[in-house]
Amino acid sequence: MADKRNLKLGRRDFLRVAGLGAGAAAVATVAKPTTVKAGSQGAKFTDPAGRVNRPWWVRTVDQPTTEIDWDVMQRYNERTGTVRGPGMAGYVGADEVGRLDEAAAKNELQRMIDNVDGYTLKDQALAKAHVALGWSFLGPQKAPTPEERGVPKWTGSPDEAAKIIRAAMRHFGAATVGFIELDDNTRKLIYGVDPDGKDMIFTDDPVASETEDARYIPNSCKYVISYTVQMSQETMRRCPTPLAQQTTSLAYKRGQDIQASTQEFIRGLGYQCLGESSTNALAISPALAVLAGLGEMSRLNRLITPEFGPMVRVFHLLIDLPVAVDKPIDAGIMEFCKRCKKCAEACPSESLSFDTEPTWETRGGWNNPGHKAYFENAVTCRAYWREVAGTNCGICFAVCPFAKKDKAWVHEWVKASGSMVPALDSFFRTMDDAFGYGVQASAEEWWGLDLPEFGIDTTMSVREG
Amino acid sequence: MSDKMTITIRKRSWIEWSGWAIWFVGILLIVQNAIGSAQELEPRAALILWVSLVVWLLAGLVVWFVRKDR
Repeated sequence: MADKRNLKLGRRDFLRVAGLGAGAAAVATVAKPTTVKAGSQGAKFTDPAGRVNRPWWVRTVDQPTTEIDWDVMQRYNERTGTVRGPGMAGYVGADEVGRLDEAAAKNELQRMIDNVDGYTLKDQALAKAHVALGWSFLGPQKAPTPEERGVPKWTGSPDEAAKIIRAAMRHFGAATVGFIELDDNTRKLIYGVDPDGKDMIFTDDPVASETEDARYIPNSCKYVISYTVQMSQETMRRCPTPLAQQTTSLAYKRGQDIQASTQEFIRGLGYQCLGESSTNALAISPALAVLAGLGEMSRLNRLITPEFGPMVRVFHLLIDLPVAVDKPIDAGIMEFCKRCKKCAEACPSESLSFDTEPTWETRGGWNNPGHKAYFENAVTCRAYWREVAGTNCGICFAVCPFAKKDKAWVHEWVKASGSMVPALDSFFRTMDDAFGYGVQASAEEWWGLDLPEFGIDTTMSVREG
Repeated sequence: MSDKMTITIRKRSWIEWSGWAIWFVGILLIVQNAIGSAQELEPRAALILWVSLVVWLLAGLVVWFVRKDR
């Protein structure tokens, strides 16, 4: 039997072992814990419907973490209900809207003259740079259909359909994609009236159509594609400034592009794809995204995703191609919101709820009753945009503890803890403050940063297949 | 003068080895998060983690110093 104490290790062997150890440590240091084996360019989906692997701490559940009372839920009038466009005048009067607009214009000019950080001419120019390509309910309708090509339309199982749509949409720029099937309840999430005042009418007609007064949705278009588009955290953390404001403009522009491409792709397969006719049109985006398992509702009264936190815009499409549907998720986000309240504390207009538990009681016509949520005061929020910020705001998004990149492993541990050990939520909220997360950064500094395209990391949601 | 040299090799207990392994893993994790935080452009988080690393290293040094002659 060998005497372990007499084992000799030569200097050269020692250096070799030490070198290997150091190399392994270096690799372990720079690698992500969830790194794709085949690299982010080649991992194969193991799910038949092409569902991407979520973090291990995201549970699939039958009911969303937001309670819903479908008997109370009604189809929403987006034209007059929200504080966007003419809706605001309905709540505060046209004179007040005029005063707020005047204040916004005056502040914009003065801040440009004063070279206020984030409000300089170059920031304002960037904010106005995103020229919209245009939304369309029926889509561009330029791509050749199978009929025009003289071939039968594409057929495949619902899983295969979901898989190719996911692949196409992620290729077009969507961050995450989910599906639900409309029933008598979830149909209530489709607006009764679109933002431009057109009625949204379900019809037995097989083909979708649009008139001056209404948009007609075939009953066969009962599958919803819900998808997210990432926003740049580096610009959003500089809110509220025009530099940060263009984060949403850019995401909406990319959303338009993805919508148009998807509409043409589905058309090319031989099916219909109905889109948003304007920003946030057609349906209640966060609600559909929650049901499709893209994220959970939150104290922001907006969607928070496990992968990107609130740093996404949410979009949706209706199609008549049967797809495999998804389930809601529980990643502990709603539970974390109960204890965190960081967004509510940071909100300069005190528009967010401080209640520990969500409630059924809405705070105004801008909220759609029928779900238990942290309802916000949209009027004071919007008034702050116009009167003080001069731009949109987004502070609640920027300070959210879920709004993190994924370079440091600790964020994944904290998110996992939030899902598995809610008792630690308050501790991690405190640590989030201590580590300086959510502090507004310099807008001037942003112009010197070396950032990836669109300011986002497109590998963040890529996981081992 | 004697040409003989005596080397004494002391066998550490598995508990002690585990303690040092945890200390080493702790170093790796703190370094990873410090570098990651710097890449995320979170200077305060990175600074706190670098300071934590120094404290962690010093703690190991002190423990090693105290126990080396035992």
